[in-house]
Amino acid sequence: MGDEPSAEALLLAMAATVADQVVPATSGGAAHAARVVANLCRILAREVVDPGDDVAVDLRVLLGADGRGDTERFEGVDTTGLLAALDDRLRDGDAEFAMEALPLVRRDVERRLAISRPSYLDDRP
Amino acid sequence: MSAPPGSGRSGEPTDPAAAGAGADDDAGLQRATERALADLLTAHGWHDPVVAITGAASVGAQRSTLLIDIESEDEIIPAVAQLSSGIIAAVPATVESAVIELARTSGVPAPLVLAATDALAGTGQPAQVVSREPGLSIPRQVLRSVSELGTGAELAGECGTALARLHGIAVGAAPPGLDRLDEGDPFGDYCDGLAATLDDLPLPHPTIRLGVEWLRRNPPSLPQRQTIVHADFRTGNLLVDDGRLSAVLDWELAHVGDPMEDLAYLCLRTWRFGNDELPVGGFGPLDALRWAYEAGNGTWREDAFRWWMAARTAWWACGLAAQAAAFTAGLTDSIVLAASGRRVPELEYDLLNLIETETGPEGT
Repeated sequence: MGDEPSAEALLLAMAATVADQVVPATSGGAAHAARVVANLCRILAREVVDPGDDVAVDLRVLLGADGRGDTERFEGVDTTGLLAALDDRLRDGDAEFAMEALPLVRRDVERRLAISRPSYLDDRP
Repeated sequence: MSAPPGSGRSGEPTDPAAAGAGADDDAGLQRATERALADLLTAHGWHDPVVAITGAASVGAQRSTLLIDIESEDEIIPAVAQLSSGIIAAVPATVESAVIELARTSGVPAPLVLAATDALAGTGQPAQVVSREPGLSIPRQVLRSVSELGTGAELAGECGTALARLHGIAVGAAPPGLDRLDEGDPFGDYCDGLAATLDDLPLPHPTIRLGVEWLRRNPPSLPQRQTIVHADFRTGNLLVDDGRLSAVLDWELAHVGDPMEDLAYLCLRTWRFGNDELPVGGFGPLDALRWAYEAGNGTWREDAFRWWMAARTAWWACGLAAQAAAFTAGLTDSIVLAASGRRVPELEYDLLNLIETETGPEGT
């Protein structure tokens, strides 16, 4: 364990300081940049508390279950490597595979959105 | 089509200092830019112009928009200079200027081009100087003003009229330097461009890839004819004065293609800036846009409208990812462009919703 305050508490305090003290004291591009910094602090605070469920395990199953590779081929491949493999498979334009991948793809988008802008999730056009 | 995404306007005002390179060089750089712009104006027939940079309207990855005063023959003329960074290729400034002039003389509200060059002295990058028109362009200011004045439906109608006029221009009049989508297969052509952009990004983006392949499998009807398309017609690039459309800005993505692209792009959720219940740019209802467009002899194709909504959402997801990649690669130190990387999931979420609206939750 580290010292107090926690990463989350510090990031939220940084966001509040920048938003409440720096933004009102600046204008134009500097104020805009400060607002962006405050928002990034809030994003990182959410990320350190709960980065969400990694999709690596399910990606390995999805990529290994299509008969073109085997699950073992993806043992030890990290999430970025798995996403690259998924990207490669989707590039083939196989509609059936895309349908199988869709729920997993959506879950990962919603996981990242819950970190970067949770309020965006509330509206489903 | 090859026009790459990533027109990096933040849509927010910026200090002039941020428009240059290092902070130490700012004063010298500003003087050099002022001299180069004065020389450009001289070459366009101005008499002994003196240029003073007075502020910056916006600074993006691709171009900075500076407010300038031109002093010439005892007059001070307020104008706007747009300087490209050259990081991302776009329409040459001289071609862009020709399109603006064509649109303006066809009744589209647009600034007057005072001078343009594809290689400004010193930087060697494209630049243009245009008249300064009245009004607001910063999205949140525009949306607040329009909401207070209650002119949202009128503004949406003016957008429809402006686009009908732009799309009514005989395509033979378009400058030869404009990009053109393949006439036989414009949608496949556009998807090829998106796929190539994805291939160039350093990180994999399977959600966007899934969207691009879906777009490829589900092309809409062909337009009766291709037209000049602005391609960046949205809140942030519309100058709004007293709640009404004053000028259409930023023509650097103009090309020849499907006119429905412009109508769809204006209605992306990302350009509503939180006003999700107002689909036209966050300020107006869809029927006002459509009615005015059709009244101006535009042909509305609903299938193409929806296809372009998804296609341009995928495009802007690529654009935001490209801005973050530019930061990671050290091409920019802008925190705003760095933050764009964390906005990619918003566009991916919109893209999945658009696809699923078309096909149902299981469809691809």
